[in-house]
Amino acid sequence: MADKYLVEPDVNFIKEIGEYGGDSLKKCFQCATCSVACPISPDNKPFPRKEMIAASWGLKDKLVGNGDIWLCHNCGDCSTLCPRGAKPGDVLAAIRMYAISHYAGLPALGKLFSDPKKLPIVAAIPIVIFLVIGLIVDLFGTNWLDFTPALDAHGQIAHHMFFHTWLVDMIFVPTSIFVVAVFALGLKRFIADIHANAMFEGKTSKEKIDPKGFIESLVKILPTILKHSKFSECGENADRATPHMMVFFGFVGLAVVTGIFFVVLYGFGIHGPYQQFNPVKILANISGIALVIGSFLMIKGRMAKQDQVSTYKDWFLVGLVLALGLTGMLTELTRLGGAMFLTNLLYFVHLMCVFILFISLPFSKLAHLVYRTTAMAYNEYAGRK
Amino acid sequence: MDKKYGVYICTGCGIGDALDIKSLCDVPEEEGLSCQTHPFLCGAEGVALLKKDIAEKGTNTLVIAACSRRVNYDVFRFDGCIVDRVNLREGVIWSHPRAEFPALTAEQKADEGNFDRVQMMAEDYIRMGMARVEKVKLPEPYKLENFSRKILVLGGGMTGMTAALDAAKAGYEVTIVEKQAQLGGHAATWRQQLPVSAPYETLIPPMVAAKIAAVQADGKITVKLETEVARIAGEPGNFTVTLKKPGEKIEFDVPFPLPPEMRVDESGKELDVESLHAKYLEYNEGRKDILQLDPGGEKFGAVILAAGWRPYQPKEGEFDHLGLGQVPDVVTNDEFEKIAAKGKILRPSDGREAKSVVFVQSPGSGEDDSDFAYTGAVTSMVALKQAKYVCDDYADGKAYIIYQHMRTPGLLENFYKSIQQTPGIFMTKGKVTRVSKNGGGLAIEASDTLLGKNIQVKADMVVLATGMVPVTVDNPVVNLAYRQGPGFRDNALFDGYADSNFICFPYETQRTGIYAAGAIRRALTVEESMEDATGAALKAIQCLESANRGVSVHPRSGDMTFPDFFFQRCTQCKRCTEECPFGALDDDEKGTPKPNPTRCRRCGTCMGACPERIIGFADYNIDSIGSMVKSIKVPSSDDYDEPPFRILGLVCENDAYPALDIAGLNKLSYSADVRLIPVRCLGSVNVIWIKDALSQGMDGVFLLGCKHGDDYQCHFVKGSELSSIRMKKIGEALASLALENERVAQFEVAIDDYDKVPKIINDFVEMVEGLGPNPFKGF
Repeated sequence: MADKYLVEPDVNFIKEIGEYGGDSLKKCFQCATCSVACPISPDNKPFPRKEMIAASWGLKDKLVGNGDIWLCHNCGDCSTLCPRGAKPGDVLAAIRMYAISHYAGLPALGKLFSDPKKLPIVAAIPIVIFLVIGLIVDLFGTNWLDFTPALDAHGQIAHHMFFHTWLVDMIFVPTSIFVVAVFALGLKRFIADIHANAMFEGKTSKEKIDPKGFIESLVKILPTILKHSKFSECGENADRATPHMMVFFGFVGLAVVTGIFFVVLYGFGIHGPYQQFNPVKILANISGIALVIGSFLMIKGRMAKQDQVSTYKDWFLVGLVLALGLTGMLTELTRLGGAMFLTNLLYFVHLMCVFILFISLPFSKLAHLVYRTTAMAYNEYAGRK
Repeated sequence: MDKKYGVYICTGCGIGDALDIKSLCDVPEEEGLSCQTHPFLCGAEGVALLKKDIAEKGTNTLVIAACSRRVNYDVFRFDGCIVDRVNLREGVIWSHPRAEFPALTAEQKADEGNFDRVQMMAEDYIRMGMARVEKVKLPEPYKLENFSRKILVLGGGMTGMTAALDAAKAGYEVTIVEKQAQLGGHAATWRQQLPVSAPYETLIPPMVAAKIAAVQADGKITVKLETEVARIAGEPGNFTVTLKKPGEKIEFDVPFPLPPEMRVDESGKELDVESLHAKYLEYNEGRKDILQLDPGGEKFGAVILAAGWRPYQPKEGEFDHLGLGQVPDVVTNDEFEKIAAKGKILRPSDGREAKSVVFVQSPGSGEDDSDFAYTGAVTSMVALKQAKYVCDDYADGKAYIIYQHMRTPGLLENFYKSIQQTPGIFMTKGKVTRVSKNGGGLAIEASDTLLGKNIQVKADMVVLATGMVPVTVDNPVVNLAYRQGPGFRDNALFDGYADSNFICFPYETQRTGIYAAGAIRRALTVEESMEDATGAALKAIQCLESANRGVSVHPRSGDMTFPDFFFQRCTQCKRCTEECPFGALDDDEKGTPKPNPTRCRRCGTCMGACPERIIGFADYNIDSIGSMVKSIKVPSSDDYDEPPFRILGLVCENDAYPALDIAGLNKLSYSADVRLIPVRCLGSVNVIWIKDALSQGMDGVFLLGCKHGDDYQCHFVKGSELSSIRMKKIGEALASLALENERVAQFEVAIDDYDKVPKIINDFVEMVEGLGPNPFKGF
């Protein structure tokens, strides 16, 4: 007799998954159409059928630390073909949201981003932080937050004259460290859990995780992620790959621009804004436009797909990305147009958006960036086909 | 009745093209009978021709040579006339197309040594039709002297009450007899009931109270509580019923037939008639004979048996591995329902809240994955219902259903879906291997589940989905004062369920006038039971409304004939009494049969059984079929150099004959040397017909009938089986004629075997040809 698995259903888990948009999970009658339909499910221990069974039994331990939920790209083929309307795609998405909260920890902070009623608080946090820290540093005579900014040395409107880069970095560098720390702690548990789950379910022959091999696997799957090749295998939601790619590369471009800007500023002491023909500026503009168009298309796509569940967390993220892109582009346009007050106001809102994006990163849907990448790397490492 | 004959040949549907009609007409005309042809006999003009002859010429005995008797039967039915349908279309020209059986050319015809097999076949069939009409009579209905239109319902549960209400609504007086002190049966012990109407999603309060009120308010329904049947004597339309208090011993308690071990002496030899009768009287001391009617008995016309079920009682140690009987918190579904009906679900062991309950649907021992005995879809449904109780009682309640089969027929699938949505209800296929005590609770082990090879669940209670045992399993209930015994024969074939032929004839038991409904037929839900009750009520009404007109109830509905006995020649061999599949015949102490025509289904099994050939029907008897056999021309070497073989086929008209018609319709051909005679049932085939056929030189005889054995398909339950026994015994008779046993055979055919039946016939013909011609030919 093999070891007995003690089944301990968690009714609250079922209810929570329901609240995250997986309320169809109990409809499953285990026909396995989903696993057959899924274009990206591996042959060995395919998902999402086993996840659907576990979910309908409220077996949290089999789901939260299960790497397979991250292999799913929510393309929706399974949900479309499901004869019972159990929507495995949405159930897995809900389980992923649950898993993100689980690994992020700090439930009080996490809840801020999952409740629409708390949106004003979320908006107020950066305003308060920016103003309080700005006013405090101003007390020391820095004038880093200047409500009556002058033109810069070139006689142009420059946002650092209003909100100094030192002030930005004073706030954002610790925030980033906090985010990285939250992720690091979460990932440590996450990797241990998905490995334990893979061993239990017989999805891997590897006993231990060798860091070198794991990093190699990570490098190996990067082209897959960059090319969105898994995403494009999906039938039902193939049109989602393009907007996702635009947003993804928008963020990548903007991250590169921010990096260059950071190095140039602190290495060479050269301040922005850059000239429009500067290659960095061109990259920044293209990325910004991609972000706006990509997130706009995502919203449009979600609104058109009535059969797919869209929760507050989905809207929160795409809304935030669109706001981020729009305020960024408008800040630039109004600056070029010479509207000093308007451009500084937009810049302030833009900084708010960036802050919220950063601070919510480990708790929001965007955390999939980290978990899915890790799970895909693990899957490669585990040698699962 | 003075018979005035008329032979009519239809030349439509290709008959006129394929056959030499003039020569056909010669057949009746040689006998001095008029013969007319018509190109479209079933059309208005053709029928007018027939009616004109009937009205003007006084023709009253018609041989209509056209299509099969199974079509246009309403067109060719004329009041007061004997009609025989000669099947030239399906039976001759369609099943023997000229492409395969070419007609003779003018040149060939000139030579007397040539013959046309198909033409010979058609001519023989006309001769056979003419022979038959000569021997049959117009039937006259058998009318009972006393007739009761009252319906007796046995059982006052949901089924019985529904049947009573439906019958009362249709205008019949009904008496409900209930053993218990109150109406309601099991339904009265439930907390909630499965849905009975759209959208079939939620549990409903039990309907039983409203039913009871409706029964009590109905002026046509009499309720007798704490009462059971001592005996039901007589026949449909005139049953004499003796009722008594349950458990009481009275002189009109039904006598039982002697068990087989009491029918023999020490050496195992069957006792003689007198000693048997003496033993029988001794065995039934204090009970009146079946033929003695209770003067105080109540009269009824038909009976609805709705005595229902009782919960399965596990045998000692039967479910030890599931803890039943050892751990008090392991209960059956019936016990759980009673716990739930009292209020919140509490553990029997310590009265504490049972917040997690495992429902086990299959006993799970060995390789067998079947559910508990006497279960069905209803036990799946009950598990869903009871699981809901757990979650209704406790917000954090958990109910697990571990099943091998989850049966959700029809719209009850909606109920399954709605229960499945309950967060606290968990289901998996799996085999429960062990239930054991685990601290204060129970540990349940299951294997081969959807959640893994071996799982364990902890729970407060375990509920086993044990079955609903029909009370007929060990109690005849109806206590019929019939010579064959008080209950239904061979009931073990149906695991004790009161049933005869489940798919084809629901509600009909092996006893005419007794209609079973509800859980006595099969494990059923309330909804199914109520539907069943309506069906059985309609059947009971059909019985009354047929018996009162002297016609057969079913399956030969409307048949006005009944078996007629020529008692002077009866040798009291009792074969008819014993072999009747429906117990229609009783006998007196000497063994003389006493017919009860309204119990009879007109299959003719008695006619097939009778060695003295004294039983017959007005339009179907030893002489009528025997004359048909004798009218077949058997060519010999005197007629032709190589005379064709002649093989007789006696064909069951319920399945085999339709199959042959369908074969004809599909232009599937078979040998033109066979001559087929439809029979009511193979049970009615008397071996004399076979002897007649062989002694007049026919080369072989085959019988086509229904499947027999445990999974029989015989419309008359036993007919094809009895026939097969008789055919085995015919060997002796054949040996006396120095004929091979193989010349007589019986084959099983189902109605959908039309594509196989030509091969069955051809193979037999080929085999007989291999044996060579019958040496009696030409004598």
